[in-house]
Amino acid sequence: MEREYLYLDYLTCIGCETCETVCGFIHDGNPYIRIYVTENKQYLPINCKHCDDAPCLRVCPTHAIYRDEEGAVRIAENKCIGCLVCLQVCPYGVPFYSLKVRAITKCDMCAERREEGLEPACSLMCPAEAIQYGPLEIVLELVRERRAKNIPEHQKEVTEEELAKSVSSGYIFL
Amino acid sequence: MRGIKFSFLCRSKPEPTGKRVAIVGAGPAGLTAAGYLVCKGHAVDIYDKMPEPGGLMLFVIPEFRIPIERVRLGAKELEEEFEVTYYPRTKVMEGSREDEGDEFYERTVRLSELREKYDAVLISTGIWNVRRIGIPGDDLDGIFSPLELLFWIKGHKMGYVPKEKVPELENKKVGIIGAGLTAVDVAFECNRLGAEVEIFYRRTIREAPAGAYEINLLRRRGVKWFELVTPKRVIGENGRVKAIELLRTRLGEPDESGRRRPIPIPGSEFQVELDYLVFAIGMVSTPPVNGGYLATDRRGRLIVDGRHMTNVEGIFAAGDVVNGPTKVGRAIKDGLYTAVSIDRWLRGEL
Ligand SMILES: Cc1cc2nc3c(=O)[nH]c(=O)nc-3n(C[C@H](O)[C@H](O)[C@H](O)COP(=O)(O)OP(=O)(O)OC[C@H]3O[C@@H](n4cnc5c(N)ncnc54)[C@H](O)[C@@H]3O)c2cc1C
Ligand code: SF4
Ligand code: SF4
Repeated sequence: MEREYLYLDYLTCIGCETCETVCGFIHDGNPYIRIYVTENKQYLPINCKHCDDAPCLRVCPTHAIYRDEEGAVRIAENKCIGCLVCLQVCPYGVPFYSLKVRAITKCDMCAERREEGLEPACSLMCPAEAIQYGPLEIVLELVRERRAKNIPEHQKEVTEEELAKSVSSGYIFL
Repeated sequence: MRGIKFSFLCRSKPEPTGKRVAIVGAGPAGLTAAGYLVCKGHAVDIYDKMPEPGGLMLFVIPEFRIPIERVRLGAKELEEEFEVTYYPRTKVMEGSREDEGDEFYERTVRLSELREKYDAVLISTGIWNVRRIGIPGDDLDGIFSPLELLFWIKGHKMGYVPKEKVPELENKKVGIIGAGLTAVDVAFECNRLGAEVEIFYRRTIREAPAGAYEINLLRRRGVKWFELVTPKRVIGENGRVKAIELLRTRLGEPDESGRRRPIPIPGSEFQVELDYLVFAIGMVSTPPVNGGYLATDRRGRLIVDGRHMTNVEGIFAAGDVVNGPTKVGRAIKDGLYTAVSIDRWLRGEL
């Protein structure tokens, strides 16, 4: 199966909270994408980047973290012992322990929806078109097309290489 | 580009339930509720007074934030894949009232009539009136409502507003009072059209609802930012705005909002010359009723119960018309959870 990417472009995001809302809606009120508000009131949604070389996946002592066929970094709940080491190495502080599931939980790129042939909800609903989903070349094209509509301050050109790196780590900002 | 997928919960139209729902107001709350309801098999008709569905996202918020096509394609998908019927340019009202954007409607329908014709009604008409400041001279020519100015600018781009309606802003001095999302969007658009823009705010950039990041972007583009000032009166000449008289303020103790209250400093008056003035100091809910029929609170917001239902059985309400000014995501949230209630009520579970 083809590797899919979920890329959130912070230069395009308007901080409207739609992603967090729809994610919470389909996950019993517990969103896996959460808005972080900076001191100068930038609203930054933070979710799992499904890193190419994922630190969480590397450190998990029980190999409870794996990559699924479409590229999502997933948790095998039955293998998780709740040691929280993944949380400590995640650059974004993404994984959290759920008392209900009794395991680490986080964004699984809408695994259940993907099984039914539906795409991740945040990407479908973001009004600003800041969250792109698909194979890398398509994501690249869509990000470029969308950024062209931004104000010049938020247009920043990216090379294919830079964006490829950024797609799975989110590190390119301004 | 693809449209917002309001029907994100299903792939295709399920078996019809035979129930019909009317939605009044095609903003994010109404469209998202429609997306949920069609996924549950209900038939949905949407009434809106504007020429196209989309609400503030389409007609007011600048295109660089939310692309026009993103909204249009989303609304179209509901129509084409889920047989949603739109009734544009149709104002729904029980009683009457003038609201912003009224120049676009061609028909009116009574809310009570919709209640009779449909199994359930959802009201999501937002905040389409602008708060008046109530100072001397606030009705002079050259003073614009922020919504009307933004409609003209975006409406012209979309082909609904003739060029003559859009004021010539190049090299004109435009003053904006306020520092919320509306104020910054008016500032962005006026600056883009070549105006010299000044924003006047009674607190400091730290308290500004739009946030320091957005305001500093504007300042880098040449917009002037005046903080700790509050308008006292507008000075006119031959019925047109000529200048604004401001008072300096200082910050006192925190108020109910937790922000420090601005206190005008007596004797600190000064004037700034202007060609145009915009009061972007807040917006007011516009339910499709005036006075009777549905209960509203003292700020004009519709009152709903735990089922998101108004005092009339079968009429629900969601979005900014219930909560006052919020954000797209909050309106979507309210639209979704209200749609869950509507579906359960239609199935006899509530
Ligand atoms: C200038 C401005 C900038 C903003 N910027 C942002 C932003 O950057 N990010 C963000 O998240 N939020 C922003 N917001 C807030 C956001 O737009 C609103 O919170 C959101 O649109 C509310 O959604 P809604 O569905 O409740 O109402 P609306 O989007 O207001 O939709 C209401 C609809 O009802 C229709 N209507 C009203 N009365 C009637 C009637 N009597 N009969 C028939 N139809 C009627 C209107 O035509 C409209 O289509 C901004 C708001 C403004 C004003
Ligand atoms: S839905 Fe899109 S624009 Fe809104 S906060 Fe999320 S990423 Fe940003
Ligand atoms: S963002 Fe964090 S949780 Fe997600 S793959 Fe990367 S390291 Fe793991």
